[in-house]
Amino acid sequence: MNRIWIAAVIVSLLAFAGIAQSDIAVLDQTGQTVSIPQPVERLASVYGIGTFYVYALGAADRLVTAYYVGVKGLANASEAMFRWEPRLDDILSFGDPNVEELAASDAQVVLADGARHAAFAEQMAYVGIPVVQYLVETPEELKEAMVLTGDFLGADAQARATVFIADYDRVFDTVARDLADLGEEERVRVLFLGTSLTTVASGDMFQSHLIAAAGGQSVANDLLGYWNEVNLEQILLWDPEVIVIPPYGPVQPSDILENPDWTAIDAVKTGRVHRMPRVIGPMDTPVPESLLGIVWMAKLFYSDLVSLNLEEEVTRFYSFYYGFVLTDEEVEYLISP
Amino acid sequence: MGLILLPALAFVAALFLGRYGVRIEETVRVLLGLDGPSDVFRALILRVRLPRTLAAACIGANLSVVGAAFQGMFRNPLVDSRILGVSSGAAFGAALALLITNQTMVVQTGAFTFALLAIGLVMLIGLRLGSTPLVLVIGGILVGALFNSLLGLIKYVADPLSTLPAITYWMLGGLNGTSWSALPPLLVITTLGMTFFMLLRWRLNLLTVTDTEATALGIHVRPMRTIVIAIGTLMIAASVALAGMIGWIGLAVPHVARAWVGPDHGKLIPASAVLGATVLILLDTIARTALPSEIPLGILTGLIGVPAFFVLFLRFLKARGEGR
Repeated sequence: MNRIWIAAVIVSLLAFAGIAQSDIAVLDQTGQTVSIPQPVERLASVYGIGTFYVYALGAADRLVTAYYVGVKGLANASEAMFRWEPRLDDILSFGDPNVEELAASDAQVVLADGARHAAFAEQMAYVGIPVVQYLVETPEELKEAMVLTGDFLGADAQARATVFIADYDRVFDTVARDLADLGEEERVRVLFLGTSLTTVASGDMFQSHLIAAAGGQSVANDLLGYWNEVNLEQILLWDPEVIVIPPYGPVQPSDILENPDWTAIDAVKTGRVHRMPRVIGPMDTPVPESLLGIVWMAKLFYSDLVSLNLEEEVTRFYSFYYGFVLTDEEVEYLISP
Repeated sequence: MGLILLPALAFVAALFLGRYGVRIEETVRVLLGLDGPSDVFRALILRVRLPRTLAAACIGANLSVVGAAFQGMFRNPLVDSRILGVSSGAAFGAALALLITNQTMVVQTGAFTFALLAIGLVMLIGLRLGSTPLVLVIGGILVGALFNSLLGLIKYVADPLSTLPAITYWMLGGLNGTSWSALPPLLVITTLGMTFFMLLRWRLNLLTVTDTEATALGIHVRPMRTIVIAIGTLMIAASVALAGMIGWIGLAVPHVARAWVGPDHGKLIPASAVLGATVLILLDTIARTALPSEIPLGILTGLIGVPAFFVLFLRFLKARGEGR
């Protein structure tokens, strides 16, 4: 009888150990505890920004379907994206997530946007697929998101997340140290435009945090609530020294530099109107490339003061985090202001 | 002549008011082309405030005059200048253009083109089924509904991060992107349209009676109605193409004007033009001055228009002996 009891206890302990190894509980950025089966071999991402976390953590081969921020179809994808992800034809998706489609894909976990996909996450729970929701609008939240994603993608991914955090902190600290002697009034005043001439990034957007990390000050810091519509009079009042255009949307520097209505603005007088480059991810959004966005802007604002080498940073970033070798033209494009 | 003072005063005040503090003396020097004010001041007055205020005046006048004419012609006090599906067509055209580009001229052209297409469809319905006011209104509702559905499709495929907000913002109405290069079509159409309505304003009184009575009085009703709709639609299309959807001006302002000067179109049309221009200039000044961000004009016209219309409605009920 005792032997039976001992055997039963041993079997129970083994069974419990088996269950413990098959699921991991993570706290996502909406505060939900999500139980994710291990190991994750098939994952889907309906969060166009979160997809890039998967790539940076070396787990892209496990994606069965993915949204990519700003890419609404193969026609939108750059030539570099096709070289970077040869399976793009098969896995690219966009639009409102389809619960049945995702259930049919056999994904074990789905990455989603905490700001838009709460109802979707509930529906996925009915079909037994856990959804990890992200809310990323600051560099700190980006770092948390990378750590969170690494936690359920395995030890290698966790290690890469740690490296990424260290890299991000290195860039932050280097820029801060290089610009330590600059007074507040000497900080470059920056206007970050959106997809039209009068759409600007508000103070609570990721772009404004990047500007601050790069040593600048966003002229629209007092505005709240995502993208804001302003008018030219307000822009004249702000009189920015530098205007940055995002790497998406139709606005080009010439639309401002050659516009007679804008000639009185300081940035236009000095020709400091620049469009951010983009090869794969848009570096003004909370994707891992935002690390390069900080370096790019810091060199733009203070080329003589910031010690970071933009060429080295971009080459190393794409090689290490994305396994992607840039062409000479792409490097030149990325480092040119 | 006294009527002209109202929008003139509002116009001048609008040039002085804004988030960028400008002294009256400097503004006057800029307007007179004198030396002294900085490049920034000059740009502000001549390139930002002046074209925008002029646009507000034209659009306010257009929406109000056409609203007054349509209310009389359709014999329906709840009709506004957009009854015939023009705004829905313009919204679809603008959204379609925004899918491709953000360039103002392309968006305006798209809005204008599809506004005309919408009215063309309504006129076609009228041609087939008889151009009575009822048929035209129903046709306008159907065409409007069609374009609203198509607009829904556009919104569905639009990029939620960039294009969809642009479409949404356009539909809320505003003049923050107005520059001199965008004004010529509006100015030309406003001039021609206002001239037409001013010259024919007494005849519009005859369109407020039944077709039989009007015909008996020597009016060729259908051609007259067609021309009024065509000219009015051009004015609305040009206005919506530049400023997006601005509601309540075309509905409420004619009623306020009617309460002021009476229903005679001889006085109602100029009164509507003057009031509409004044109201929109004032609201646009608030839209660009109250906050660092631009307040969509459509929101302000709704917030002002709804209470104003309610007050008028109460007065109407009181005059009829209804309500308390």
